Amino acid sequence: MKHFVEFCLGIIIALALYTFLGKIYFSLPQLINFFTLVVIYFALTKGKIYAACMGTVSGLIQDSFSLGVFGVSGLAKTIMGYSAGIISQKTNVLPFFRNFIFIFILICVEIIISLFFYYFIASEYVKDMGFLVFFQPLSNAFFGSFIFMFLRKIKIFKS
Amino acid sequence: MLLFLKERKNFIIFLTLILFHLILISFQVSTDGKRIYFKEVIYSAFSPIQHGIAVFFKKIGNIWDNYFYLLEVQTKNKQMREEISLVRQENYLLKRALQRLKNTKDIQEYISNIQDYFIIARVIGVDTRNVYKSINIDKGSLDGLKKDMVVLDKKGNLSGRIVEPVTLKEAIVQLITDIDSGVGVISKKKELLGVVSGDARGNCLLKFITATQIIEEGEELITSGFDHVFPQGIKVGKVVSIKTEHSLFKKVEVKPYFRLEDLDMVVIILNDSLEFF
Repeated sequence: MKHFVEFCLGIIIALALYTFLGKIYFSLPQLINFFTLVVIYFALTKGKIYAACMGTVSGLIQDSFSLGVFGVSGLAKTIMGYSAGIISQKTNVLPFFRNFIFIFILICVEIIISLFFYYFIASEYVKDMGFLVFFQPLSNAFFGSFIFMFLRKIKIFKS
Repeated sequence: MLLFLKERKNFIIFLTLILFHLILISFQVSTDGKRIYFKEVIYSAFSPIQHGIAVFFKKIGNIWDNYFYLLEVQTKNKQMREEISLVRQENYLLKRALQRLKNTKDIQEYISNIQDYFIIARVIGVDTRNVYKSINIDKGSLDGLKKDMVVLDKKGNLSGRIVEPVTLKEAIVQLITDIDSGVGVISKKKELLGVVSGDARGNCLLKFITATQIIEEGEELITSGFDHVFPQGIKVGKVVSIKTEHSLFKKVEVKPYFRLEDLDMVVIILNDSLEFF
């Protein structure tokens, strides 16, 4: 039950922050993808299978708020979440710089999978992604590693 | 066998999820623009949450505006009162002029019903993949919104059209800057017909202008009405660059009049009001 509540809370927080960013400036949601950050957070804290499930749900929600092919983000995020879970189990990715590289690589993988499927389905979709998406690995890695460090500090402070 | 499955439980769940996505995507390859019910279900479930979040942030913004930003209110109020009185006078003069031209009961009725032709909606979200593709608005089928209704910005410039899914209180607007959109247009000066579609970067392209046809930079484009979706005469944008490449058609870039950064509110034209145009 606790996991389910955390799962729902994660999705609602991602949705809230995505809406909030859009309210601040219309193109900001393209730079910082909170749905992806929630998946990575779940991979770090709950493990690969929770991250894969979170990837599926948050990816499908992201797809439902877009006119693109429904399911591509879900697929990319599922693979990314599962891989993130495996890597974080085997390597310590918690230090800030390692965390930065970890998020950067994962988001690159997610974009490559999305691009591959968009190209596979309809070649036009590659240019349809919007150029700001290609800044996502850097901006998300920077923002994500800061947030995760902050959350870890809170956890340590609490304990 | 059971032990094998138990050992590989996580991997099997992962593979099931992947398979589920692949089936979902492969269904769409053959649907060719038809409705995807699963997407509609997900959108219907989560768009009210987004709507609620947008309302929450709006309320917080209102608190700021109402309590902390009162310093400029008086000056703004005075300015607005002056503007309103000017607009009222203008409205009165226009009504008088219209009556003088054709003094019939129909015109009176026409003027009084103008407000019923439109619905004003607030933008609650942008497209998650490319912001120039679509926006989410806070009006839905309960407010009378249907697929293919025309959407304008506050100044009356063409912004897009309603696409599916339309939920009870939310709807998606496909912007004219979307690569998959298409608007039948006519140039004001040279009266050339073409189709405007998005370039996914905030601008549009005017298609099907042959290399022999003459079109100039700065020429204004309005809807032609030939596509039977957008009524005739709505301002779309103006030509900003023309390139003649080694092909049958020119590459004509168009800057749309609507600006996404100013698109906090939109106006939707109801189907019954197409005669207004």
